[in-house]
Amino acid sequence: MKAAIEVHNVTKQFRLSAGAGSLKTAVIDWARRRPSRQFTALNDVSFSVAEGETLGLIGANGAGKSTLLSIIAGTLYPTSGHVRTRGVVASLLELGAGFHPDLTGRENVLLYGAIMGIPRETMRQRFDAIVDFSGLEEFIDQPVRFYSSGMYVRLGFAVAVQVDPDVLLVDEVLAVGDNDFQKKCLDKMDEFHRSGKSMLIISHDMHTIRSVSDRIAYLDHGELKGIGAPNAMTARYGADSISGGVTGAKREWGTGGAKMTAVTLVDGEGKPCGTVPPDQRLRLRIDWEAASRIDRPTFGFSLTDETGNTVYGSNTEIDGYDLPFIKGQGQLALEVDVATLHAGNYMLSFSLHSRNHAVNYHRLENHLPISLVENMGFDGVCRLPSRWV
Amino acid sequence: MIAMFTELLTRRELIWILVQRNLKIRYKNSALGFFWSLLTPMLMILMYAIFASILKFNTGRPEYLQFLVTGIVAWQFTAGFLNDSLNAIVGNTNLVKKVFFPRVILPLSTVLANGVNFLLTFIVLLLYLILSGAADFSACYWIVPAFAMHLVLGIGVSCLCATANVFFRDTQHIVGVGSLAWFFLSPIFYDLEMQLGALKFASPQLGGIVYLNPMTGILATYRAALMGHPLTPEIISGGVLSPLWLLLSGAVCLAIMFIGLAALRTGDKYFGDVL
Repeated sequence: MKAAIEVHNVTKQFRLSAGAGSLKTAVIDWARRRPSRQFTALNDVSFSVAEGETLGLIGANGAGKSTLLSIIAGTLYPTSGHVRTRGVVASLLELGAGFHPDLTGRENVLLYGAIMGIPRETMRQRFDAIVDFSGLEEFIDQPVRFYSSGMYVRLGFAVAVQVDPDVLLVDEVLAVGDNDFQKKCLDKMDEFHRSGKSMLIISHDMHTIRSVSDRIAYLDHGELKGIGAPNAMTARYGADSISGGVTGAKREWGTGGAKMTAVTLVDGEGKPCGTVPPDQRLRLRIDWEAASRIDRPTFGFSLTDETGNTVYGSNTEIDGYDLPFIKGQGQLALEVDVATLHAGNYMLSFSLHSRNHAVNYHRLENHLPISLVENMGFDGVCRLPSRWV
Repeated sequence: MIAMFTELLTRRELIWILVQRNLKIRYKNSALGFFWSLLTPMLMILMYAIFASILKFNTGRPEYLQFLVTGIVAWQFTAGFLNDSLNAIVGNTNLVKKVFFPRVILPLSTVLANGVNFLLTFIVLLLYLILSGAADFSACYWIVPAFAMHLVLGIGVSCLCATANVFFRDTQHIVGVGSLAWFFLSPIFYDLEMQLGALKFASPQLGGIVYLNPMTGILATYRAALMGHPLTPEIISGGVLSPLWLLLSGAVCLAIMFIGLAALRTGDKYFGDVL
């Protein structure tokens, strides 16, 4: 199998200097022999993408993913090492990036085609398909500065895929656009994949990237930590970034009539512990405090995944736990069986509210991160009892 | 270098589209649009005619106004690409950072866009020279080397300024002042006889080194083509300066182009880092 992209020992260093772009600072730096500080964005990265392969690229912010994509696209030069690509490389580094605000959609489409080296005649033939895909028939002769950001992106994606490259580089573009458009994009990428083109995709959406990639490369602080099966790589990334990988800021709010003073993860003996015990049971101790008597309160919890989707949520009411009133101080124990949940990073939120949700006494959003490391042999959120007969 | 020219040849569509874009943007949102390319030089000629006659601003040579206007029109092409080249790369940051294509296309297209504009102005200039009776096309073939030298100079200067401005934004201020100095150092509103007279060379024939300024040669060629002026002036000793001195201007134009292209190629590797 021929390689569509070959990356050989690529290292990229950036110079860090405060007042770049001024002759004065350059002269002063030179006169003082001030060594410029270097930042290594990529450190000796090597891999290759086969023809027809889709490679996912994951890693935390600042891991060097976008730098790597720019180097492959040819807009950045590596400090050392080299990259070889085969055929036309189109990059969706930032959709519609090359558009000029004063030109119309039509003019920009032709400009983009010319930049990608597509003959004007070919571009004219594909023009209708582009407009059709973007869904912007009415606005195509308007200057793009009147476009909304969504329209910009739609036109950008439509042009980039119609350029029909041999290698497509995609940097986190699926996060934009509405559901319909995202689906269209994914369909297009599937079509691309089927027609034997290579793709390199960056995404923070672990579910999407697992489903579209043949292999995944995991970058961490500029180093290639691993390249291999999608599930194994996302799990490894997940395990490496126990708290950092989960989205959602820790937040606390409420009317304050009653409070959860502490929520602690404990083991079978009731001792606080840092990780979920091997029996895959979450045991939580909730300390509460109520200044005055509150009748029929409800304690709730929810479990969210890396993208902020709720995996499961319940409360004392749903679970049929009878709690007539609270007053003073006390504790409540919660036990959740997570044995069927897929490995990954999750976040626990807690709430204390009145029965009809009219009063939120206290809420702890994204309060407790947990990481599950078992269960990675299957796809999806949780294991469902399935049987082959 | 040859590889670069063949690459540019295959990318001529992009170059043309960028030229069109530059021209379109210039006249976007103006009611008269493209007409300004013709209207501006007409109004300019009118201004010079009015003020030169009011102020009795004349070096004493016959057909001074036509001499001046020819110089000004040619200089405006130079001033145009000097100015526009500063933003050729910096102003297209989003393109340069996101898509790969030969960067030389950016300054090249600003020069060509200015060239198209210059051609329109040039038509007005021709009409003016013919109508005012100052036109003398007996040596009109000189227009070819004039255009060629001017374009070569434009490519070189634009590549240099565009590249330098990426790394040092001071370039735009330097170019602002520098272009004024260049204007006064070029025989635009004075003629070469005056300049040579003021400079007083030990050997009058050495006066040819004023052709080190490529604009000197370019202006002389334009005036030779359009007004039938001699390529090199008579010097004080009475002889005519060797026309071979013109080659000096041509050589300088070529040298600037190669330096500019080399600078762009060297700088290209770091554009993504500093933009």
